[in-house]
Amino acid sequence: MALRDIKPTRSELIALKRRIALSERGYKILKMKRDGLILEFFKILEQAKDSRGELLAKYRRAVETMAFANTIEGAIGVKSAAFSVKEVPQIDLKSKNIMGVVVPEIESSKVKKSLVDRGYGVLGTTSAIDETALAFEELVEAIIESAEIETTMKRLLEEIESTKRRVNALEFKVIPELTEARDFIKMRLDEMEREELFRLKKIKARSV
Amino acid sequence: MEIAVIGNSEFILGFRLAGIRKTYAAENDEKLIQFITGALDDAEVGILVLNSKDMERVPRRLQVTLENSVKPTVIAIGGEEGGASMREKIKRSVGVDLWK
Repeated sequence: MALRDIKPTRSELIALKRRIALSERGYKILKMKRDGLILEFFKILEQAKDSRGELLAKYRRAVETMAFANTIEGAIGVKSAAFSVKEVPQIDLKSKNIMGVVVPEIESSKVKKSLVDRGYGVLGTTSAIDETALAFEELVEAIIESAEIETTMKRLLEEIESTKRRVNALEFKVIPELTEARDFIKMRLDEMEREELFRLKKIKARSV
Repeated sequence: MEIAVIGNSEFILGFRLAGIRKTYAAENDEKLIQFITGALDDAEVGILVLNSKDMERVPRRLQVTLENSVKPTVIAIGGEEGGASMREKIKRSVGVDLWK
């Protein structure tokens, strides 16, 4: 708001004072929201670091057992076992609310299966296949967990960024401009009062 | 919802063993991009798993889409530095490098 657009009237002054009070209240609340979000983010960050490490370790183990199974069974043996697996892991997306941010909560089912449920023949394959299947099932579980955590982090970060922008806009742009306008009107009104007084005195001096 | 896995045939074989049906063998870059865009449009896919080597191969524009995608959530595994983009995001939002 440019200063010359402001009308130096009393009603404008009252309206401005109200707007300043409202902006300051909003600023305080948003600042609290930002701090709260950052606290939540710190909690998730620790989990994310752990789950990343775990994911990597499980992936390495899975690849290792896979190579092992390939050596023992041959690529075709592993493939045929893989194609006979019937149970499909299902995931269920639910949503949770952290300080107004909707984050997903992923629930999984049928990821880990017993030996019989896997679908390939137990007699026709070696234990290397079982181990590989188990390692990959564990990997899938780790993936599901870290997917949930990473999505939560992404959403929280987005929200933190927009809240921060709002807080900064209020602190450095909106509130200073409003106070500047308020001071301008105050000074202008004072000036007008003095002019009026001076004019009265002049008239009085002439009439005597 | 289901999990989808895209990668070379070796990468996806293990996931098939774990019971995942939506596995796509992408042998070249064109196929890779085709499968990824297909998976992004598939409403049944909740999580998309990629190899981080493949993730580096796709065009930058698609990479950004994948990184920001929430549904499906994209997870790249196999790389040492899994959180390079996450690191950037944290730096931008919080202002401090908190990753590691």
